[in-house]
Amino acid sequence: MPGTLGLRQATAAAALAIAALVAPLPASAAPPETLVIDIVNEPSSLDPHMQWNPDSYYVYRNIFDNLLTRTDEGEIAPQIATEWTYVSDTEIAFTIRDDVTFHDGTALTPEDVVFSVERITDPEFGSPQLGQFSSITGAEVTGDNEVTLTTETPYPALLAQLVKLSIVPKAHVEEVGTEAFNLAPVGSGPYAFDEWQRGVQVTLTRNDAYWGDTAPFAAAEFRAVPDAATRVANLQAGQSHLVVSLDPDLALQLQGAAGVEVRDVLTERVGYLNLNAQKPGLDDVELRRAVAMAIDKELIVEGLLGGFDAPIDSMITEVHAGYGGGVEGVPYDPEAAREIIEGLGEAADREFSFATSPVFDQRIVQALQQMLTDVGLDVSIEMTDMSTYLSKVRSAPADAPDMSFGRWSCACQDADGVLYPLLDSDSSWSKTRDETFDRLLSEARNTLDETERQELYHQVNERVAELVPFVPLYRAAILYGADANLVWQPTPNESMFLNRMDWSE
Amino acid sequence: MAAFLAARLFQAMIALWGVATLVFFLARMTGDPVLLLAPENATEADLQQLRVSLGFDRPLPVQYADFLAGLVQGDLGRSVAQGVPVADIIAARLPYTLWLAGGALVVALGLGLPAGIYMGVRRQSRGAKALMALVYAGQSLPTFWSGILLILVFGITLGWLPTSGARSVSSMILPSVALGLLSMATFARIARTSILDEMPKLYVRAARARGLGARATVVRHVLRNGAIPVISVAALEIANLLAGAVIVETVFAWPGLGLLTVQSINARDFPVVQGVVLLGAAAAILLNLVADLLYSAVDPRIRLGGRAT
Repeated sequence: MPGTLGLRQATAAAALAIAALVAPLPASAAPPETLVIDIVNEPSSLDPHMQWNPDSYYVYRNIFDNLLTRTDEGEIAPQIATEWTYVSDTEIAFTIRDDVTFHDGTALTPEDVVFSVERITDPEFGSPQLGQFSSITGAEVTGDNEVTLTTETPYPALLAQLVKLSIVPKAHVEEVGTEAFNLAPVGSGPYAFDEWQRGVQVTLTRNDAYWGDTAPFAAAEFRAVPDAATRVANLQAGQSHLVVSLDPDLALQLQGAAGVEVRDVLTERVGYLNLNAQKPGLDDVELRRAVAMAIDKELIVEGLLGGFDAPIDSMITEVHAGYGGGVEGVPYDPEAAREIIEGLGEAADREFSFATSPVFDQRIVQALQQMLTDVGLDVSIEMTDMSTYLSKVRSAPADAPDMSFGRWSCACQDADGVLYPLLDSDSSWSKTRDETFDRLLSEARNTLDETERQELYHQVNERVAELVPFVPLYRAAILYGADANLVWQPTPNESMFLNRMDWSE
Repeated sequence: MAAFLAARLFQAMIALWGVATLVFFLARMTGDPVLLLAPENATEADLQQLRVSLGFDRPLPVQYADFLAGLVQGDLGRSVAQGVPVADIIAARLPYTLWLAGGALVVALGLGLPAGIYMGVRRQSRGAKALMALVYAGQSLPTFWSGILLILVFGITLGWLPTSGARSVSSMILPSVALGLLSMATFARIARTSILDEMPKLYVRAARARGLGARATVVRHVLRNGAIPVISVAALEIANLLAGAVIVETVFAWPGLGLLTVQSINARDFPVVQGVVLLGAAAAILLNLVADLLYSAVDPRIRLGGRAT
C-alpha cells in the first residue's frame, strides 16, 4: 500500500533525529540491567520538598534518604537518624548517621538535616507539604551528630510524618537554586538521578556507594504511561517489569496470564460516605443510622471491586498508630432502614444532594445511590471535577452537599491524621459539631502516651458508630502488576523502594 | 500582497489576544489549583499560604495584567504543578506532537487522497463501494479501542512493534496509524465529493471533446479544480493534529501536547493550559493563512486583496 510505504520513508527520515532523543530498548535478560516501571504520569517534581503525589514520590524516594523510614511490616525504623529520644514532651533529639554521602560526594551532616526541616517548613518556600510538618517550630544542631526538633505542643504523629522528610544537601541546593535542583536532584539514596526525559521517563542509576541495602538492578526507568490497559500491555509484552494502579478488571485479566502476577495490598486509604449532619433531615441521627443500615458494604467490595478491598466499620485500621481495636458498625438492615425513613415522614422527604468527582469509581457512587433509593430516599448525584468537588465538600456545612463520597488517607498511618480533620468542629472537612469529639480528639493529639491515645481514639470510634457522622465503607486495595520474577511486596503506605526489591530466576 | 499579509498579521494579533483573554478567565472559573496541590489534611491556613506563594491571592485584574505583560515579552509563565517555565515544558513536548502529526498526516493523505479520488472517478464500481465501507469503518472506530486493538495485535500477539512510548522510530508507527485513520476518512470523503462536483462540469466535457484521455483529464484539470476544498480541510486537520491528539497520546503514552493539555487541565495548571491553547490558536491562524496563499497558487482566479475577508 502506498500509504504504508510513505510512512516507512517518513519514519526512516525521522530516525536520526529521534534516535538522538531516545535510548534503545533494554534486552530482557534476568535480572534486568534496567528495571522498567510504568507509572501513570511523569513526576510533577523531583524535589522531595515540593509536590507530593504518588507519581513523584515513587521516583524521588529512591533518590533521597528520609530522616526515618518504615519497615515493610510498617514499623517506624531508623534511616538517616539512627535513634531518637524525647528530651521533653515537645523536644526530640535525633542521632544522625555519620557515614552517609550525597551523590555529589559530599558528606551528609546534621546541618543538612536542619536545613531540610527549615526549607520544607518555610512558608515563603511554599511547599504543598507544609501542613504535614507545620507542627515543627524549631530545628537545631545540638551535638556532633545530633539534631533536636521542637514542636509547639506534644505531637504524637511527628515520627510518622518524619518518615516522609527527605534530606537534601544544603550546600548544593543553595548553590544551584530550587529550580535547577528540581531538574537534576542530588540526594543520598540508593539510586542517583541520571536523566529526566520530559513527558517520557526518568532514569536513575544505582548508587554503588550506598550505605544500606542495594538492589540487583544497575538502573531503573520510571515511564509515564497514563492508560492502565497500555500499562498491562507493556507488562505482558515484556517491555516493563512493574506497573502501578490497575483496576480490578485489568487485575483479573492479568491473573490468567503467564509470567506476570498481580500484587495487591490493603492500604491505609478508606472509602467512606460523608453525611452533612447540619442539613435538615440529616441533623437527625435516626436518618443517618438509616442511611448506614441501607448500605451493603459486602456487595460493593465483592460485586464491584473484585474482592481485593475489605469492608470496614472504622476509618482507622491496624496500620494506623492510635488504633485500639475494631468497633461494631451499624449493621446492614435495609428493612429496618425503610421503616425508619417511613417513620420520619416529611423530615426525610426531600432531595438529598450527593457529591462526587470523576476520580472516584462511579460504580460505587451509583450503587450507593441505588441502595439509598431502595429504602425510600431521594438521592441525586452531583458530579463535578475534582477541584470543584473539593471546594464544595470543604465549604461550611450550610453550603456543602448533603452527602459526599470520599477516599481518605493521611499518608501518615496515624489516627490523628484521619479522625481530626474528619470530625473536629474547626476542620473544613468536618460537618460534625460535637464537643465530645472535639475534646477527645484534642486530648489524643496532645498526649504521647500510646495506650491513652488508643483508648481515646477507641472512644471516638464508638461515638462514630453511635452518631454516624459518616459511614466507613471499605479499606481500599492498591493493585500492581509485576513480572513474576520480581521479588517485591507492596506496602500499605504505597512506597516503592527499589533497594527492597530482588530478582529470582 | 504585502498589504494583505500586514492586514492578516494584525488580525492574527487581535485573535490571539482574544484567545489569551478567554482562556485566562475561563480557566480561572473552573476551580482552585491549590486544592489539588495540597495533601488532604492541609488546613485552610496551609492552603492560603500556598495561594500567596503562587500569586493566586492577588486580584484577578492584577493577575491578568501580569499575564499579558509577560506574554508581550514572550514569557508564558511558570507551571503551578511543576514549578518550571511553561515554555520549557511545551518545547519538550512539541517535537513529539510534530512527529506524530507528521506520521498521521502521511497515513491520512497517503491513503485518503488516492481512495477519495478513486471513489470519485469510478463511483459506480464495486471497488469504490468496498472502499467506502473501509472509509466509514476508519471513521467510526473510536481510537481508544482501535489503539488498544493495534497494541494487542502488533505489540503483544505478533510482537513486531513496541506497545507504547516514544523510545524508537518503530514506536511511532502504531500511534500514527491509529491517529491517521480518522483524518484519512475525512480526506477520502472530501476528495470524493469534490471530484463528483467537478466531473459533470463543462470543462471536463470540453477536455474530453478535444481528445484528452480520461486519466489526463482527471490529473490535469479535475484534480486541480477539486483541490480547493481539500486544502481548506487539510489546514483544519493539520491544526487539529498539532493541537494534540488526546486519546491516541494517552493510549500510546505518547508524550505530546494533547496529553500535556489534559493533565494540566486536570491539575488546574493554568499557565500550561494557557500556553498550549495559545500555541494551538497560533497554529490554526497560521495554517489558515497558508491555505489562503495556496488557493491563489492552485487557482489563479482567486486574488489576494489588500483587505482580507
